[in-house]
Amino acid sequence: MIRSGRLAAAFIGALLIAVMACGHRADERTAPDSISTPAPSGVLTFGSVSLNPVGEHEVFRPFVDYVVSRLGDVNIGKGRIIVVDSISKMVEELDQGRVDVYIDSPFPVAFVWERADIDLLVRRWKRGSDTYRSVVFTRADSGVESVADLTGKMIAFGEPFSTSGFLMPKAALASTGVRLDNYEDAAASVPSDRVGYVFSNDAENTLFWVLKGKVDAGAVNEDYFKGLAGSRISELKVILTTDAVPRNLVCVCRSLDPQVRDALREVLMAMDKNEEGRTALSGFEETKKFDRCPGGPERQLADIVGLMHYVDEDIGQ
Amino acid sequence: MRIGLRGRFVAFVSAIVIAFGVVLTALAVRVQNDRLRHELTERGKLLTTVVATHVTDPLALLDVRQLRYLMNETLEQENVLGAVVFDEDGRVLTDGTVENPSRHLLIDEAARKHVAVSDALLVEFSGDVMTVTKPVYLGGGLLGGVRLRYSRAGLDEDQAVLARKTALVGAVFAFLGVLAAALLTEAVTRPLKEVIEATRAVSEGKQVPTLQVRTADEVGELAAAFNEMTRRLRETTVSRDYLDRVLETMGECLVVTRRDGTMTRVNRSACALAGAPENELVGRHCGELFRAPRGYASLFHALTPDGSVHGLETELFSSTGEEFPVLVSISTMDEFEGKSKGYVIVAADISERLRIERQKEEFVTMIHHEVRTPLTAVRGAIGLLDGGVGGDLGETGRELVANALRNSKRMERLVNDILVSRKLDSGHMAFHIQEVELMPVVEQAIETTSAYGAQHEVRFGLDETVPGARMQVDPDRLIQVLTNVLSNAVRFSSAGDVVKVRVSRHHEFLRVTVADSGPGIAEEFRDQVFEPFARADEAEWRHRSGTGLGMSISKAIIEELGGAINFETEVGAGTTFHIDIPESE
Repeated sequence: MIRSGRLAAAFIGALLIAVMACGHRADERTAPDSISTPAPSGVLTFGSVSLNPVGEHEVFRPFVDYVVSRLGDVNIGKGRIIVVDSISKMVEELDQGRVDVYIDSPFPVAFVWERADIDLLVRRWKRGSDTYRSVVFTRADSGVESVADLTGKMIAFGEPFSTSGFLMPKAALASTGVRLDNYEDAAASVPSDRVGYVFSNDAENTLFWVLKGKVDAGAVNEDYFKGLAGSRISELKVILTTDAVPRNLVCVCRSLDPQVRDALREVLMAMDKNEEGRTALSGFEETKKFDRCPGGPERQLADIVGLMHYVDEDIGQ
Repeated sequence: MRIGLRGRFVAFVSAIVIAFGVVLTALAVRVQNDRLRHELTERGKLLTTVVATHVTDPLALLDVRQLRYLMNETLEQENVLGAVVFDEDGRVLTDGTVENPSRHLLIDEAARKHVAVSDALLVEFSGDVMTVTKPVYLGGGLLGGVRLRYSRAGLDEDQAVLARKTALVGAVFAFLGVLAAALLTEAVTRPLKEVIEATRAVSEGKQVPTLQVRTADEVGELAAAFNEMTRRLRETTVSRDYLDRVLETMGECLVVTRRDGTMTRVNRSACALAGAPENELVGRHCGELFRAPRGYASLFHALTPDGSVHGLETELFSSTGEEFPVLVSISTMDEFEGKSKGYVIVAADISERLRIERQKEEFVTMIHHEVRTPLTAVRGAIGLLDGGVGGDLGETGRELVANALRNSKRMERLVNDILVSRKLDSGHMAFHIQEVELMPVVEQAIETTSAYGAQHEVRFGLDETVPGARMQVDPDRLIQVLTNVLSNAVRFSSAGDVVKVRVSRHHEFLRVTVADSGPGIAEEFRDQVFEPFARADEAEWRHRSGTGLGMSISKAIIEELGGAINFETEVGAGTTFHIDIPESE
């Protein structure tokens, strides 16, 4: 027992030392090179928002490892992943300098961009798409012909922090003058001047809820819609398609060492040029590549920022 | 390739054991297959029921995401090939994958009909796939159901493992079977092997052990029968060892040769006489050991047509240069179809016999010259005295002379008989054969003996005759025989008796019968009647006895003449002698 206790103490001590070492800021590791070239010891921290941190880690890890392995020249030797369960917490992480790189959909990024000190770095072609949009659909026999017909009815969105499943279609609906209220129960009674919405938390749920009449309408990524509807697409009717927005964006904390930032951009944009990089991209939610934001970063976010006030409250939760 | 009994037995038993193992394995596989199928079915039913229970709430809430998670977990279960949740219409909501290619597809019509009316499990088999469908009802209303497909690949895998295990067990079984077969075969064939070895020992003339009768079965009976056979063989057959001992201990020389005369075996006596060990003699030609008999180019030239010869006198050469007279008998050993395989030569050393013969000759010569000649002179002188040449001798002198004359005659007869007997023995007796009529010879013999009979008051009565019967004989010798027999009859007759003489035909012989009514011949003496110097021991008749050579001489003469002499006697009633002589044709 004494022996095993000592071993446990030694293990815990070693673990603490390792954690402390990992907690150092990347810029603290970017000191000028000495005469000899020591092993890169800087840490680059990636942040993400998800309710499934384990799954998110699994998705991010190969990608992060690949990227970090190419940043040795800027003294980055290790990659770290921080997953938080809300956008607000991500803003906080960025403000506190605990996250160096933040990758997300345009609406969350726009929300963070307005609140934290970050810069857009590159665009991410998540799931092979550079842009995407959402559709709002109903059953073809529902009698709903337009957004205006949704008043007094219930619509299903996907997850609360999903851009295509919630933020984008809600903002689009709201921009038409419809007022939306959130409900827990899809069967709840909705006032005739309002549009009620519930979260199905899953695009497939949204589809079947509409098909089964559990809700009157649903909103999903346009790319998913056709696949989900499949042979029953004729039973459905799209009443709204949002404007296209970038599929995914990569932001960096402004405090990040410019050398690291530049090196990171180069590494990301070069990933699709080599087999190893393509493999890492494929495992990272089927990302096709990273490229510069067309028209510049601000252009990418300008339209979205204009809609943000419709969903600020939702994103900030 | 020759497979022995043992090999065949092992193969046979092994085949049976392996066949048994194969059948057993097949049955085991089948039983296990049924058991696995049953287990798979029950496991499938159970898992499907459990999954159906779990999907009830999300199905009621139409939480496809939750259903997807559940189906995804279900897909990870053993042997599950596919899992779908379907709605009340039988359309698939999710198959557990994100892609969900089965989405909106209708499940099998039979299953749809089943779930529409029953909440029981539906189990279907199709090829290697078992599909279990479980309807999900809530509050009496159909929500949908789950439909799980199970692969039999797992079953096959289990069966493969089972088959391997069974094959391993079968292999062990077969190995043990072969081992058991070998042991069993050993147990069965060992007694047979012992019998074979014992039989071989018999054939090779070796000592034959008594077999152990271990079991009461056929093998045991075989061993017992073999023992009985060898026991009888020992009892009834001269074994080679025994024969060897006999041959080695026999006094005669034994020489076995091949067909070409090469000696292959000699016994101890032959070695002793030849003065050489067996290994020096074996391999040499018998001509180097035996001189060719007189008149023959070699020993084997003396063989008669029947392949044998007996009583052949020749010499055996000794290694020391001596020559030993031997009496040789040769027999041919036939192998088959009359082809000679070899010869057996038996040679008796007759050196001693010849020495005795020579001594006899010397004795006879001595008798002839040293006894008979002086005796003749003595008898002549006594005869002259008896005839009065010496003047009147007086009463006493005459009696003494008469006595001396009688005894000298008797001694002369004895000497003559001895000489005759010797001549007969040595084959030097001269016979003057001529054809004569029997009756005159008989009558002459009677007449010659009549004086002697009259002296003892015994008469002769010729009762029966065969007139004209003729024969090839030496008449003097025949008269000698008849006279001897008649004298003998007189000698054992009482005064007044009549010795009856009959002449008759007996088969191809002429028979002369001389019968007296004397005391007969005692039983113990009958075998000695024709022996030299044989005389009855009765004191009453001793004074009448002759030289003791008469009957033996008579027998030898008659046999030389091709006839026979024998007698019938009864103590107290008399003796009858029969003299048979071949009648001339």
